[in-house]
Amino acid sequence: MQGRRWLRVASYNGLAIALGLVIGLVVVAVGGGNVVVALSSFFISPISTTTNLGEVLVRFVALYTVGLGVGLALKAGLWNVGGEGQFVVGQIMAFVGVIYIGGVPASVHIFLILLLGAAGGLLWISVPTILRTKFAANEIVITLLFNIVATFVGLYALNGPIRGRTQSFGFPLTDLIPPSLALPLLIPGTRISIALFITLGVAVVMYLLVERTALGLRLSIVGESTETARYAGINVNRVFILVMLVAGTLAGLAGAMHATGVLGFLDPGELQPGFGYLAIIVALLGRKNMLGIGIASLLFGYVIIGAQDMAQLVPAQSGMVFAMEGAMLTGVSLASFLLARRGSP
Amino acid sequence: MAFDFIFTQSFFSTVLFQALALLPLLLYASLGEIVAEKSGVVNLGIEGMMLMAAFSSFTFDYVTKNPFAGVVGSLGVVAVMGLAFCFMTITLKVDQIVAGLGMYLFGLGLSGVLYAIFTSGAGVGASGVPTVPKLEIPLLAQIPSIGPVLFEQNLLVYLSLILVPATSYILSRTGLGLRVRAVGENPKAADTMGISVARVRYAATMTGAILAGVSGAYLAVGYTGSFQLGYTLGRGFIALSMVYLSNWNPYRAFVAVFVYDFVDSLQSAVVINTPALEASSYLLALLPYIFVLALIPIFGRKARAPKFLTIPYRKN
Repeated sequence: MQGRRWLRVASYNGLAIALGLVIGLVVVAVGGGNVVVALSSFFISPISTTTNLGEVLVRFVALYTVGLGVGLALKAGLWNVGGEGQFVVGQIMAFVGVIYIGGVPASVHIFLILLLGAAGGLLWISVPTILRTKFAANEIVITLLFNIVATFVGLYALNGPIRGRTQSFGFPLTDLIPPSLALPLLIPGTRISIALFITLGVAVVMYLLVERTALGLRLSIVGESTETARYAGINVNRVFILVMLVAGTLAGLAGAMHATGVLGFLDPGELQPGFGYLAIIVALLGRKNMLGIGIASLLFGYVIIGAQDMAQLVPAQSGMVFAMEGAMLTGVSLASFLLARRGSP
Repeated sequence: MAFDFIFTQSFFSTVLFQALALLPLLLYASLGEIVAEKSGVVNLGIEGMMLMAAFSSFTFDYVTKNPFAGVVGSLGVVAVMGLAFCFMTITLKVDQIVAGLGMYLFGLGLSGVLYAIFTSGAGVGASGVPTVPKLEIPLLAQIPSIGPVLFEQNLLVYLSLILVPATSYILSRTGLGLRVRAVGENPKAADTMGISVARVRYAATMTGAILAGVSGAYLAVGYTGSFQLGYTLGRGFIALSMVYLSNWNPYRAFVAVFVYDFVDSLQSAVVINTPALEASSYLLALLPYIFVLALIPIFGRKARAPKFLTIPYRKN
């Protein structure tokens, strides 16, 4: 039975990706691109070179770190749709740390940068958390609003406090990070850094806490019904605060690791990285299981690189990737319908 | 004083005129979403639908050189998206949040990439398209100073103002409105009384989608005459928070939207008149968002959502 279940989950993942792929191919065809080239670049390019394989893992790291938090909140019945904004603030705070912290050894400095990024994510989710727990506001709308606010704050920072000495085509950008402060790389020729180990470490801790202790059970009870949870003596608000703050912190950390380990600089294009939304997809496809989210993240690391390569065939690549993500989420919806139908007698 | 210009009459007129001109961007979408949510369906996809409406109205307008054709054509596009959303959430009963987010990302991305394909293929320059004309109300527009501000607005501005009492009347005083509220508050009882829950929810959600489309089309062919990737800047989500702030009341939604637009046009007028602000201008642009967030603890406390909001209806 266990094997059957995995097969089913895998086929729903497939449905989501297929829907995204179809939309991508239609757009390429409308744009006058070669559909066969598009198809092969989607499937082949992520595994064609060491560099590209590294890129898959780089996306896996970002997605898994954000996705763990989104999945944790979802388990308790809360939607952190603000991973995007928390990630962006993490990126900005990391560069604030690069520029404004001084007089400490490089290793301490790197640690402080990551800490600052995580704190940025924490800060960014704290207001939605207060509005949700103290004023019963809808956390979905609030966290979405904070994504937009993060973009403006990012533009302010790029034009002000973290602005570099040069510009690119009139767009502001930061200076390149000093090599001593970039996260150490693991494999030459790729952008895989020690962020991979940090993420896997976080994942192990989260897995043990959520899937192997009573805490996970408590989260699930709250997620099923807050009334039942209250009846069982669980402090629902405390659970809400815990999961939201962890989710924000992880997204901020992911942003800091991405900015200092992968990008090395920031420009306005990095203020809409898309990881926050993809994290929702992987959290749902991973069925809110801390291990399942990892598998889905690896799969979507592959999908992102495939989609990005395919998007080279049309103008407005970010638009193409967003459209495919939307189609994939729709695929997740339809998969949940099929799953519910199979589950009912 | 560098900010002396704020206290001039012409500055005030400009800000008020802009605030009114901005109204349709949020008002149609908010009123439509009130109707949809009253029936028990929350549509997070209106942001994506607004973007698709903005893009398609721009394109239709560019091709036909007729902004009205742009508006009508874009509503057709939005109707298709609305039907897809209704089918998933009402017929298949999938999670409204996931389906709505899917619609948002889909609309955001597709409008952006199709616009890029269209402009690169058709050689469309940065120059805009013709916009829906202003409607000068005779006599009233001649009133000194305040006349042009109030009575030389876009046709879609006046229509949005008429829609406020109309929505309120239909929702609270007609049998149609009663049915909408019934399926949102107690679908089982409504069903027992012979009301088709699915049909009413389809109608209400489609109304919301179409009105969001009008907001999106106004942005492209009513207000600016142009389009870009992510052009709505999250106004669909702001409309969603306006609905919540208004406690699902059309009149209150109008007040919230107007104050928001006033703050927005005030900050942009200050930014335009003060080049020395530089990077800080991005922080000023945050003012309207901060305004929304600050009001939530004040008005949100008393807000009471329709009882079956986001919950699909299953017989038995």
